[in-house]
Amino acid sequence: MTRPLRRTPLRWTLPLLGVVLAVVAWWLVSLVMTGAKQVPSPAATLHAAVVGFTEHDLLLDLRLSVLRVLIGVAIGCAVAVPVGFVLAWYRPLRLMFEPLVSFFRALPPIALIPLVIVYLGIGEQARLSVLSYAAFFAAVVVIYESVAAVDDIYVRAGRAMGASGLELFARIVVPYTVPQVFVAVRVALGIAWATLVAAELTVAQRGLGTYIQDAANFSRKPDLFAGIVLIGLSAVVMDRVLVAVMRVSVRWQDRVAR
Amino acid sequence: MTTMIGFDDVRLGFGGVEVLDGVGFGVGEGEFVSVLGPSGCGKSTLLNIAAGFLRPDSGEATVAGEPVTGPDHRRGVVFQQYAIFPWLTVEKNIGFGLTLRANRRSREERRAQVARYVELMGLQGFEKSLPKTLSGGMRQRVALARAYATEPQVLLMDEPFAALDAQTREYLQELLVETTQTERRTTMLITHSVEEAIFLSHRVVVLGNRPTRVREVVDVPVPFPRTPESRLQPEFLAVRRHLEDLMRSESTTSARS
Ligand SMILES: Nc1ncnc2c1ncn2[C@@H]1O[C@H](COP(=O)(O)OP(=O)(O)OP(=O)(O)O)[C@@H](O)[C@H]1O
Ligand SMILES: [Mg+2]
Repeated sequence: MTRPLRRTPLRWTLPLLGVVLAVVAWWLVSLVMTGAKQVPSPAATLHAAVVGFTEHDLLLDLRLSVLRVLIGVAIGCAVAVPVGFVLAWYRPLRLMFEPLVSFFRALPPIALIPLVIVYLGIGEQARLSVLSYAAFFAAVVVIYESVAAVDDIYVRAGRAMGASGLELFARIVVPYTVPQVFVAVRVALGIAWATLVAAELTVAQRGLGTYIQDAANFSRKPDLFAGIVLIGLSAVVMDRVLVAVMRVSVRWQDRVAR
Repeated sequence: MTTMIGFDDVRLGFGGVEVLDGVGFGVGEGEFVSVLGPSGCGKSTLLNIAAGFLRPDSGEATVAGEPVTGPDHRRGVVFQQYAIFPWLTVEKNIGFGLTLRANRRSREERRAQVARYVELMGLQGFEKSLPKTLSGGMRQRVALARAYATEPQVLLMDEPFAALDAQTREYLQELLVETTQTERRTTMLITHSVEEAIFLSHRVVVLGNRPTRVREVVDVPVPFPRTPESRLQPEFLAVRRHLEDLMRSESTTSARS
C-alpha cells in the first residue's frame, strides 16, 4: 500500500469500529450475566454516569484524579528530564546511579503507599509524592536510555565539524532526543494513572479510585463500571493529546511512535 | 608539492587482528586521491585515523604537516552512512559547521556560503526541506555541501555514494568532479568502485587484503576537465583494466586464504 493510512477515512472508521465491537460484546455479555453476578449493560452504565455527574458530583472525583495525575507527572518529569540528560551525558554519574535507579524503578510505587502513609499521612501531599516518584523513575530511564542510543554517526559528524562537548550536547544530543522526551512523558502518564487509582483506593476521600471502591463496597455495579470506563477514557484522552502535541513539534521524524 | 594528508607506516589492530600493517602514502595539496581496496581491508579505519576518530597503534597520520591527535574542524568528513542531521532543514544542515564556536561566521557570510553550496550541489528549491523528504542521492549532496561549506584544509570521504543506485551514483560523481575542478580542495576518497576511483582522481592508492599494506599507487593520466566522455577515453580504459586486474588478483588471494 503506497497511500499512507493516515490520509484515508479508514484511519477514523477502523478505530470506531473497534470501539463499537467492544461495546456490542459488552452488551451481549450483560444479556447473559444476570442475577448475583450481574454485569450492567452499556446503557445502564451510561445512565449511572449521568446520574453520577448530575447528582453525586462525579465531576469532582474526575477533576481531582486528573489534576493529581497532571501534577504528579509534571513534577516527576520536570525533574526526570534534566536528571536523565545529566546521568546519560556524564558516564561516571551514570555508572554510579544506575543500580539505584534500577532498584527504585523495579520497586512498584504502590508498595510505597503504606510507607508514605506512615510518614506523610493520607493527605494530598502523600498522594502527590507517590505519583511524582512513579512518574520520575518511569521517565528518567527512558530519557537516559534514549541519550545513550543517540546514533554515534551524528556525534562524529558534529565532532568532525569541531563541535565542543557542550555544543554536541545542546545541538545534537538534545534535539535528537526530544521525541523520546515525549515518549518518557507518555510512559510516566501511564504509570501515574495506575498508581493514582491504587493510591486513591487506600488514601483518599474523593477521586475516581475512591468512587469505584465505594461503588464496589455498596455493590453498585453500574457505578463501578462507569468509574472504570471513566478512568480508561481519561487516560486515553491525555495520551492522545500528548501524541498530537508530539506530532506537530517533532515533524522531522520519519515515523512518530504511536 | 606539499603533502597535505600523510600516512607514515600506520599500523592498527582490533583485538589481536592486524588490520593495517604499515600503510604509507601521501596526498598532495589540491590533489584528489582515491583509496581502493577489498571490503573489510581497513579503508574506513584508515579514514577514521586521518579524521582523528581512531589512534593508530604505531606510525602516524599527518594533516598539513601536523600529527592528527583528534577530530578537527579543518578536516571535513563525509561518511559512508547518511549522517546529515534529520531534525535540521537542508540549509541548516549545510550551515551547521559555520554556527559552531570553532568556525563561527557572521550570519551574512553563513548565508552566502550556504547559498553557494546549495547551488553547486543542485539543491535549489530544497533549502527548507527536511532530510526525511529527500532521496538518498540528495541526502549525500547535502552531506557533501556541509563538508565543503566549512572550507576545510582537507576533505575525507568514505564511500559517500556506496548506498546509491548506479544512475544516481554516476550523476553524483559528475557533480563531484565538477566541484573539485572549481574548488580544488585536497581530497581523499574511499571507494571500492574502480570506475569511481579513476573518474574522480589524480591518483589511486590500491590496498591489499588484511593485514593491509599499499599494493600500488596508480597515476590516472586522464586529462581534466573530466566529463562523462572521459570514461570512454583509451587512458581511462587502460587504467581501468590495470586496476581491475589488481583487484581480481586481490580477491582470489583472499578466497584462497
Ligand atoms: N571497532 C572495531 N572493533 C573491532 N574490529 C573492527 C572495528 N572496526 C573495524 N574492525 C574490523 O577491521 C576491519 C576493517 O574494517 P573497515 O570498516 O575499516 O573496513 P572497510 O575496508 O572500510 O570495509 P567496507 O568496504 O566494507 O566499508 C574489518 O575486518 C572490521 O571487522
Ligand atoms: Mg568502510
